[in-house]
Amino acid sequence: MKSIARHGVAAPPARSARPCRLGLAALAAPWVFAGAAPAVAQPQTYQLDPAHSWVHFEVLHFGTSTIRGRIGPVKGSVRLEPSVGRGEVSLAVPTASVSTGIGFFDARLRQADLLASDEHPEAYFVATRFSFEGERVVSVRGEFTWRGASQPLTLNALRYACRSDTTAAKPVQVCGGDFEGELLRSDFGATFGLPFVANRVRLLVQVEGRR
Amino acid sequence: MTKILITAALLTASFGAAHAQSASYAIDPTHTFASFEIVHFGTSTIRGRFDKKEGSVTIDRAAKTGKAEITIDMASINTGVAPFDGHLKSADLFDVAKFPTAKFVGDKFSFSGDKVTEVAGTLTLMGKTQPVTLKATNFSCYVNPMLKREVCGGDFETTLQRSAFGITYALPMAAPDSVRMLVQVEAVKQ
Repeated sequence: MKSIARHGVAAPPARSARPCRLGLAALAAPWVFAGAAPAVAQPQTYQLDPAHSWVHFEVLHFGTSTIRGRIGPVKGSVRLEPSVGRGEVSLAVPTASVSTGIGFFDARLRQADLLASDEHPEAYFVATRFSFEGERVVSVRGEFTWRGASQPLTLNALRYACRSDTTAAKPVQVCGGDFEGELLRSDFGATFGLPFVANRVRLLVQVEGRR
Repeated sequence: MTKILITAALLTASFGAAHAQSASYAIDPTHTFASFEIVHFGTSTIRGRFDKKEGSVTIDRAAKTGKAEITIDMASINTGVAPFDGHLKSADLFDVAKFPTAKFVGDKFSFSGDKVTEVAGTLTLMGKTQPVTLKATNFSCYVNPMLKREVCGGDFETTLQRSAFGITYALPMAAPDSVRMLVQVEAVKQ
């Protein structure tokens, strides 16, 4: 019974893999027919580069100075289709990786009343509402899930560019940028230290994706 | 070895009643960091920080003078990417074996009211000393309820040209000359 049930659960992904293969074939098509027809823009999928994909946060301490921390690397992929103004991103942020430069502070941040890294090892950002200016991503609106709570979050590009990385064995297309967002930690139930440590958290997201 | 030294500041003796408001502060290493930002291939910003530092600050808010000395352990550079940290410490870049520390000495404080707005001085990095002005984006003093002492601090920033210190590796393509420095500092009254 159980193995049948498992088989039943496993079946849909196997079926859904077919359109994926078709998708890849379609991706190859513009190259094959490049000379014959104008290239039809296709979505391009970029995998995040762990050396250049991090979340930095900033939060004001006693209204005086800014505490900074880093979480990451961020894992995930981004699908971009600038010609039709579409994009899709799904990112996971490993909260236990928090690093402020102070070991005991990091340990405190991982506790249940702040990052809650044991119960919720990852935070997620999932978005499908992309704004472009030409080929450039200018903002991404989606949902941020942290500590099991989901809230809308908009990330605005402070800079964005694409380039060809010719240092790799095969040239790799790289797109990336800096994105900025802001959240109120109380919206996610992370209220420890309020109001001495501010409610407003500024997020600075560095991201580079490769394909 | 990994102990973070908190050096208490000098004075008190030579300054008397005439400078009653002059106070010395020891850097709180848990709220004092030098971070840097540099753009990678014109695409995204690499951020890093130096985790070990020591220093002291004296401020006379009545006389509107001050002095700050902060020494940074260059080997404590931390970007989150270990191989990159290794490269940053190598002779290509910071050459930490030869130049283990960097030092900022700020001796020209500007005030607006009793708030520090700017600290000008020198930065010695890679054996070269250059003038540097840190501009405050935040500054205030408060009584810390746990320490039950006055803490003064803020956020400061400046932009350095790394070539001025002889750090020219990968210019200009991979990383530009401009490096933005962000300094968080809090110091506890002694």
